Amino acid sequence: MDVAQAILVVIQAWGIFGALTAAVFLTVGIERVDEDAQGAYVFRPLLIPGVMLIWPLVLWRWWRIESQRAGWAERYKPVRGAHGAAALLMSLGIIAIIVTGLSVRQEWPGDTAPVQLSDGASQ
Amino acid sequence: MSVKYTPVQWNRNKWLYDGVMLAGVGAFLWIFLYVTPEVLSHERAVNPQIHNARAFGACAFVMLTVILCIGPAARLDPRFLPLLYNRRHFGVMTAFVALTHASYILNWYFNFSSSDKYVALLYANSSFGQVAGFPFELFGIFALVCLLILATTSHDFWLKFLTPPVWKRLHYLIYAAYFSVVAHVSLGILQDQRNQVFTIIFISGAAAVIVLHLAAWWAERGRSIAAKDGAWVEVARPSEMTEGRARIARLTNGDRVAVFLMEGKLSAISNACAHQNGPLGEGRIIDCLVTCPWHGFQYDVRTGRSPAPFTEMVPTYRIRIHNGMIEVHPDANPPGTPVTPVPLPAAQRSKEGALA
Repeated sequence: MDVAQAILVVIQAWGIFGALTAAVFLTVGIERVDEDAQGAYVFRPLLIPGVMLIWPLVLWRWWRIESQRAGWAERYKPVRGAHGAAALLMSLGIIAIIVTGLSVRQEWPGDTAPVQLSDGASQ
Repeated sequence: MSVKYTPVQWNRNKWLYDGVMLAGVGAFLWIFLYVTPEVLSHERAVNPQIHNARAFGACAFVMLTVILCIGPAARLDPRFLPLLYNRRHFGVMTAFVALTHASYILNWYFNFSSSDKYVALLYANSSFGQVAGFPFELFGIFALVCLLILATTSHDFWLKFLTPPVWKRLHYLIYAAYFSVVAHVSLGILQDQRNQVFTIIFISGAAAVIVLHLAAWWAERGRSIAAKDGAWVEVARPSEMTEGRARIARLTNGDRVAVFLMEGKLSAISNACAHQNGPLGEGRIIDCLVTCPWHGFQYDVRTGRSPAPFTEMVPTYRIRIHNGMIEVHPDANPPGTPVTPVPLPAAQRSKEGALA
């Protein structure tokens, strides 16, 4: 099995675990962790792709709520402080990758008129 | 605001927002495909699949650029707030456009090999040791996965279930996604461009994102931390208060508190909306309720509770006037705890804050 096939097997396993988590969480768990979901069924299929993608996070939050480890205050701690670092990192990364991309480009500047380097056969 | 979940909480403004967005996507694709081939140097596309792939890819980049510009623009100028209102639909549409781009690529370039097309996508280019010719597809795959995570976790259920801080951290993936898209373009189609118009548009879009984010970050840094006086912290002078509006103060523990003046009395609640932690202190009081400027969630500033039948709550704070200063106790009360408003002496009100 090569690396590409191994990656696909991991992705498939992730999807299978995600589907199992979605099946249990959206039928049993969701009403236990959120009273607003009780009796609301039409919106649940919309959540399936999300559960399949982030099922470890879903299980972690479900466990936190069921075991009453989730304090009320954690809901009101905005993460604005991290915004500056995220914006700065993204900005530096963008500048670096654009400069890198332009520096290795074969035609730069584009549409440059051809220049005859030697007199060639006419000499 | 929640009572019982529905798939999409439509209203007139959202229909209008989505209508304009869809019209914009349609117009972009039409212009790209049929009006500007010469300008954007794709007049000799090999076949319709490649032409369509480029159109949807360019559209996804532009949409992502606009999405990333909306947030900081709204922080810098409240006139952009209406664009923020339904940005999640914008994001979901962007994920669909990006997925369409990926489908065209996958079903053309990798669909005719003897191996599975997904395997072919992963092993077709393994030049990891060089910049020129680097497998830029991987940046696109990563960005697409990020966009799908963001789109599929955009329902309000996820905000309540994960809590706004966790949800926000998850949605910081948008920054990684945008960098990856820029890398995908820089090491991909940008290498093949002979017409500089595309290059200029691409760099201008990325530069707009950078400038707006850094400007918003810089403006945010200017907000002062409330002075500390014993256990209580000073927020403002009474004369600085305006009827129906708030003063926002950053406490020493990093939390933000919004002190409102309503009908001549002071009340303090958390500045973080229970929905997406939007800035409640930038909202206006109408009929005793402050409205979050981001998505319209409302709270009674005296109790921190949304009006029935809604159930959202935010923490409240104790407040007092001491030595001519409005002070707040930094220990937040549990969400929805009523606090008796503190009357502001008439002599200490500003002209704007004076009651009629």
